[in-house]
Amino acid sequence: MLEVRGFSAGYQGNNVVHDVSFRVDKGEAVMIIGSNGAGKTTLFRAMCGLLASSAGEVLFKGDDIAGRPAQRLVRLGLGFVPAERHLFPRMTVQEHLTLGAYPKRPERETMSTVLDLFPRLAERRKQHAGTMSGGEQQMLAVGRALMAKPQLLVLDEPTTGLAPKLAHEAYEALDVLRRDGLTVLVAEQQVPLAMAFSDRGYVLENGLIRLEGTSEELAENPEVRQAYLGVT
Amino acid sequence: MSDRFTGTTGTSLVGGTERHASRSLSTLFASVAGVAAALALAPLWVGDSRVLMGVAVLGLTFACYTIGFNLIFGSTGQLFLCVGALAGIGGYSGAILADTVGLSIIVSVLLATLAAGLSGGLLSWIAVRRSLGVIFTGIITLIFSLTFETLLLGLGELTGGENGFLIESGSDTFLREQIPPYYLMLALVASFLLVHGLLRRSHIGWAFRALRDDEVAAELAGVNVARYRIYAGLIGSAMLGMAGATYAFTEGRISPNTFGFAEVDVVVIVMLAFGGIGTLFGPILGAVTFTIIDEVLIEFGQLRLVILGALIVVLFLWIPRGVVPTVRSTVEKRRRRKSDDSQPDQDQQETLQPLGEMNNKGG
Amino acid sequence: MTAVILDGMVLGLQFGLLATGLTLVYGLGGVLNLAYGQMAVISAMVVLFAMDAGIPVLPAVGIGLVAGGLIGLFLDLTIMRPIYRAQGEARVLLSLLLTLGVAFIVDGFLNWRYPLKALNLFIGGGAVEILGVPMRRGSLWASGITLVTFAILFAFFRFTNLGRAVRSVIEDEEGAKLVGIDPRRMLRLILVLSGVLAALVAITRSMVIPVDVQAGFSITVFALIVAVVGGLGSVPGALLAGIILGIINTIAATYIGTFLSLVILLVAAAVTILIRPSGLLGVKG
Repeated sequence: MLEVRGFSAGYQGNNVVHDVSFRVDKGEAVMIIGSNGAGKTTLFRAMCGLLASSAGEVLFKGDDIAGRPAQRLVRLGLGFVPAERHLFPRMTVQEHLTLGAYPKRPERETMSTVLDLFPRLAERRKQHAGTMSGGEQQMLAVGRALMAKPQLLVLDEPTTGLAPKLAHEAYEALDVLRRDGLTVLVAEQQVPLAMAFSDRGYVLENGLIRLEGTSEELAENPEVRQAYLGVT
Repeated sequence: MSDRFTGTTGTSLVGGTERHASRSLSTLFASVAGVAAALALAPLWVGDSRVLMGVAVLGLTFACYTIGFNLIFGSTGQLFLCVGALAGIGGYSGAILADTVGLSIIVSVLLATLAAGLSGGLLSWIAVRRSLGVIFTGIITLIFSLTFETLLLGLGELTGGENGFLIESGSDTFLREQIPPYYLMLALVASFLLVHGLLRRSHIGWAFRALRDDEVAAELAGVNVARYRIYAGLIGSAMLGMAGATYAFTEGRISPNTFGFAEVDVVVIVMLAFGGIGTLFGPILGAVTFTIIDEVLIEFGQLRLVILGALIVVLFLWIPRGVVPTVRSTVEKRRRRKSDDSQPDQDQQETLQPLGEMNNKGG
Repeated sequence: MTAVILDGMVLGLQFGLLATGLTLVYGLGGVLNLAYGQMAVISAMVVLFAMDAGIPVLPAVGIGLVAGGLIGLFLDLTIMRPIYRAQGEARVLLSLLLTLGVAFIVDGFLNWRYPLKALNLFIGGGAVEILGVPMRRGSLWASGITLVTFAILFAFFRFTNLGRAVRSVIEDEEGAKLVGIDPRRMLRLILVLSGVLAALVAITRSMVIPVDVQAGFSITVFALIVAVVGGLGSVPGALLAGIILGIINTIAATYIGTFLSLVILLVAAAVTILIRPSGLLGVKG
């Protein structure tokens, strides 16, 4: 569904991400792991049209979307939940979810699915996003993206700042969505959670893809174990 | 570490040649002397016209204003929309101290300079204390400007109100003659240039560059951003006050229009932007160019404003960083292209970026 | 005293509506439109010329409103493009400078060609008593129209999908992109809207006192100050700040004098900004 080829991006002529290639097939859950500063955020932002890329292709369902502005990607079926979430502080949960479906009116079925998935959001329908806790905001960000019924959901570090219990809940929700047919691409620093959730993964270091493989393969890999799983 | 920092915060090139500030001391003196010498020749052409000499003196005064504003805005990013008011504090204080209070001209000018400097420093302090961003600093200083203008009109007994203030002190000295005021102003311009140039080479200048590039990084590196902003406000405003006071004594008559927002601030901003914000000689280039343009435009009468406006629009669409930086980067690009063909083009800034990009709105 | 307060509210409502156009454009696009006053003046002139040409008042006013919108569209198609390419503070500065240039062009042209023109929509009929105070019909009509406009705006932003979309861009431009909203298109819409609002304010103001060709810059300054005090980007803030500053201005002008009243207004605005830089109803930071 998503194929990235030779992709480079960065700021002011300096590339942070160099010649990256990876793919996500339909129905898969793929993770991109790497430490802070590896370039995961830059990669995702450039892929999803929030940042200019300098080279390479991003093929989404066969269509090259590299360089296309972010606002045009939703209607193609790509949902992006960035690390900073970018919620609307003075708008309510309800308004967020309604806007998620823009420009269409939200479908009642979709709305109830999302609210079932995140019951805490249902409780706070009239609450302003700016007054919600980190975990609730994360749920809202994902919920908003889901309202557009995306085929591919891209998440950048969805568990940052979340207590372990909430992080688990987040991945449980993602699991449910996966079983319903959603394709997921997630960038994570909290590797064990991502590993349990994903089928395959890539390791990003200093802007380069250094390793790839199934979750099991990566879990066995000594470098990965040392760097990301805290095993010596 | 700083490279990664700039990478993630996405800061931009600073408009201007501040980066190239490592010119030697002798180069600085030589270039200032050269510019001063070139300007000193002007009376050869226009010396016999009282009107044109008056324009020339005003032009140099505006050059002083622009250097002061450049120091405040170009060096530390504080948008002081009260250049006219600060110069006016200098002008009116000097006039009142000399005529009404009876102090000598020199003392009056010095005290006027101090008054303006302290006012500007206070504004900087307020902006720093309340963490006002660029726009809010601009708005507060704009309010300061408007209030000052209104007070000038309202406190008629002190200031002469609408009719202005006829300054008697110095009317029998060289200050009111045709040519000497020009050289007096030129001396001011040269000394201001030197002060600015020396500051740039000092640790203060280093701090200015650091805080303009990336404020957060600068704070982390130990630069007390607040303190340097206030320094810039103090020194720049003092320059404005001194220029305003000196000009007042050479003209002999000042009115609220002499230091009004529309008459001073707008012009100074255009002059600086044209020359190049943050550059050393940009203000001179801007002042000379627009003084000449303005003189030419007088013939057009009312359409002057239209043409000025059109010039502003064209100017900022075409060379948003100002002449000096644009020329420099063009020259450098050519130099680089000759030496190394495969170098990626780093100067892709098409847009005005004197303060660095931010991903959130200012304010 | 009641009379003064009522007069202040009439002025305040106009301040509020005036500031709304400016604050929306800033809130949405991070753009400061210093040609705003000129937009109002041009629209007023269009109405004047239409009436001079024999067109009856109501259609003339309609034409004026359309003119205001068209000016907004024109600005968007011309100078907004390079402005939008910049980001953050650079964008504010560029918008400031470019719109200032446009303001000069328009102001200079109007003052050169039609220096003495002024729009004056006098509404006949005797005074009407409100709370025991005789109010001119012109003031009442102006206030009424302004209130209705605010109600329409409120409904638009609260209850329509498009209105929500606009708000979302004000809240977080990138977030809006993530849900498929094009900030550029929203800005165009809001610029057109601000043009119509500017025209509306000029027209309603002319029901109270004549609006002349030189009013451009002072309109912009008042709009800016009210918008900032209310909180840039906040429409309710603009309304609230407008009313408060309108009342302060009128009280000061009545009891102290016009000169000092302007100073008091400016100082009041400055104090508010210093105490709460984000404005009365603005978002912190």
